Amino acid sequence: MQAGLLNTYQLPLSNRSWLAWSLSVLLFVAYILLYFGPLPALGLRFDLLQRLAEVTGAALGLPAFLHSKWILYGTVYTLAMIVGGAFVLRRHGNSPYQRVRTFTVVAVQVLLAFMLPIVLQVFGRKEYYFSYFWPLKIEYFYPSVILEQPFLMVFWSFIGSLVAFPLLAYFLGKRFYCSWICGCGGLANTIGEPFRHLSSKSSRAWSIEKVSIHTVLFVALVTTAIVWINWAVGRKHPDFARFAFQVQDWYGFAIGAMFAGVLGVGLYPLMGTRVWCRFGCPMAALLGLIQKFGRFRITVKKDMCISCGNCSTYCEMGIDVRQYAMANQDVKRAACVGCGMCAHVCPRGVLKLENKPIRWKAGQPIRVYAVDL
Amino acid sequence: MQYVILGNGVAGIEAALGLRARDADARITVVSAEHEHLFSRPALMYVFAGQTSLRDTEPYDRQLYERMRFERRSGRVANVDPAAHALVFDDGSQLAYDRLLLAVGSRARPAPWPGAEGDGLHYFVTLRDLEKIDRAAKPGMKAAVVGGGLIGVEVAEVLHDRGLHVTFVIREGWYFPLALDRNEATLVAEHLRGLGVDVRLAINVTEIERTDGRPSGVRLETGEGLPADLIVCAIGVVPNTGFLADSRISLSKGGAVEADDALRTSLPDVWAAGDCANVTWADGSRRPEQLWYTARDQGRVAAQSMLGDDVSYRRGTWYNSAKFFDLEYTTAGFVPVLLNWDNTPIDPGPEVRHWFQRVPGQFASQRIVCKGDRVVGFNMLGSRWNHEPLLDWIHERRSLEWVLKHLGEAQFDEEFSPRFRVHERPGAVS
Repeated sequence: MQAGLLNTYQLPLSNRSWLAWSLSVLLFVAYILLYFGPLPALGLRFDLLQRLAEVTGAALGLPAFLHSKWILYGTVYTLAMIVGGAFVLRRHGNSPYQRVRTFTVVAVQVLLAFMLPIVLQVFGRKEYYFSYFWPLKIEYFYPSVILEQPFLMVFWSFIGSLVAFPLLAYFLGKRFYCSWICGCGGLANTIGEPFRHLSSKSSRAWSIEKVSIHTVLFVALVTTAIVWINWAVGRKHPDFARFAFQVQDWYGFAIGAMFAGVLGVGLYPLMGTRVWCRFGCPMAALLGLIQKFGRFRITVKKDMCISCGNCSTYCEMGIDVRQYAMANQDVKRAACVGCGMCAHVCPRGVLKLENKPIRWKAGQPIRVYAVDL
Repeated sequence: MQYVILGNGVAGIEAALGLRARDADARITVVSAEHEHLFSRPALMYVFAGQTSLRDTEPYDRQLYERMRFERRSGRVANVDPAAHALVFDDGSQLAYDRLLLAVGSRARPAPWPGAEGDGLHYFVTLRDLEKIDRAAKPGMKAAVVGGGLIGVEVAEVLHDRGLHVTFVIREGWYFPLALDRNEATLVAEHLRGLGVDVRLAINVTEIERTDGRPSGVRLETGEGLPADLIVCAIGVVPNTGFLADSRISLSKGGAVEADDALRTSLPDVWAAGDCANVTWADGSRRPEQLWYTARDQGRVAAQSMLGDDVSYRRGTWYNSAKFFDLEYTTAGFVPVLLNWDNTPIDPGPEVRHWFQRVPGQFASQRIVCKGDRVVGFNMLGSRWNHEPLLDWIHERRSLEWVLKHLGEAQFDEEFSPRFRVHERPGAVS
């Protein structure tokens, strides 16, 4: 239940103002510098962010292996989530679901996605992200990466991707990952909150989304397959090995860096916080397909919707929740990440996220009684 | 067949959609004066606060008329000429109809006090009202909201949210006795006062004071003068049927268009639906139903009736929902009104008993209304409830004891919320 009112449409930052555009440009530049380092074509002959990380690391007296732009990035990212999370708790903390979910997603980022990988490096091991799985972290199914990780981590990775995640998505919906664990979703639902309403609710966007997200999933599967085939026979077929390397490299650039990073975060102030999640993430595509047949749904209280539109406005995935509420139809959409905002802002309590196999006497029309009272 | 629908609110648009769903060739013209598209009037408070935009409150996309081949006519209607089967606009132009639906909705009940006439006194019903208050209301101002109902509490909330100091002036002994009993209203008042709203109960306004022609305060019947930079009158809504005065259509004393069970009016080929229509309630009385839900339902029935179906509008068991600041409210079934507007108590009769509990430590309460041992109504404040099982249980004539045992099944709060439980012993029935 929402306490107080939001004033989203009165905030310049939330309304594609010059401020929002400037922020978007800044984010684009930052991510391009992060992923591509020196850009000789633009006259940048050194890795600006790496230089910054080295200077900062030295000034703080950190050990040499932490003088990395990726550590700097991880730190900024995690701090952004903590600060954003605090704002979310202040604004929406009266909701038990928002409290528990926000706290969890920030804790997962701090512990599993930030501290633990650093701790592993402190002990001379390779960094490893226990909260990321194939196909989102596509490398974790690459033979070369598998071979350099301890067995338990490989086991964790395989059981996760092939057993645990499908089961959890079936019983709890993909929300268990997309809005409770994943750092992409974590950033979106913390520092990204001022932008969630910018997602397009149009049916055209939905059509594009269905094509693009499943295309990326297909590409991820094909890429993984090519990498495996190359590992098996690449030595005997150098042309194929070259091709496989190009595919792997291209995936890392186009999907990993440009789509997930540059566009995914750069477009926050203009297109909302879930552009990657909605149009690109192969994990989202996979879990979403399972969710369609699973138990998670947003139950709709029949005939109680006043069409105010708050639910659709605040859906970060661009689902037109209002249409479902008006039609007395439970929301079962592959895209839904279960952030719970629609239910939170609904002024008549029409929506409820739940994992029930059936809703209250599902399928029967609402009865109109004329009871002698 | 030329259908004309006067008013593009939810009743009118639902009727238009119902007509088009069954008749692909008919000409359907929708006449409106306020806004080109259907929007959710209950959501206007969120537009004011900036939580949503006006466009966000439009349930259908802006190509609806095109897709459904509705013709759009903008303008204010001055009269209906039943003999000529035509609408007469205030610019003299006419629009002929074969079948007409009056779906003109409500307008604000005008303030009756001396000093109310003239500019500056605000209402909160139309988009125009919203724009005027939006321009006038600034943080730090003193606001007086007169009228303890649904619109009053919403205006109080949005003004308070904008940083005005709100005094909520209510003539009844407790807030909104049409829906709440004394305990529930006290809970609401405590919640509002806790947020800083000055709630004044059982007090009438006697005058709108003006300084240099502008409203500057409200005089109460105690003699006290409440200075106010902004005064909003929210004392109810009445049918928006002033233009029908010369049309010979049968109107109730309150101005509602008399409609039979098939929503036909006294004029041939003219129907009425929504806030403007006088319909029969379950207790036999004749009144308009001034709710979004019933307007939607009436619009659908009116379309069927206009198509020639033999239909009857049956409201069915009452249910409604609202929100008082942060407190969500769900009601289902028979919940008797216990206080008259003049503060005389109403005795619901010896058969009616109530079970009530206020949840300790929360602004939440549940009330179950019984006739004998049969549960007939629910009034739930501060948490979410699914009215479907509640209505089922009323229909199934469940006992109070049974309902208390199963009430948790109807709880609709989000996950991790505290589960409903009985804090009061079931014996505590009054």
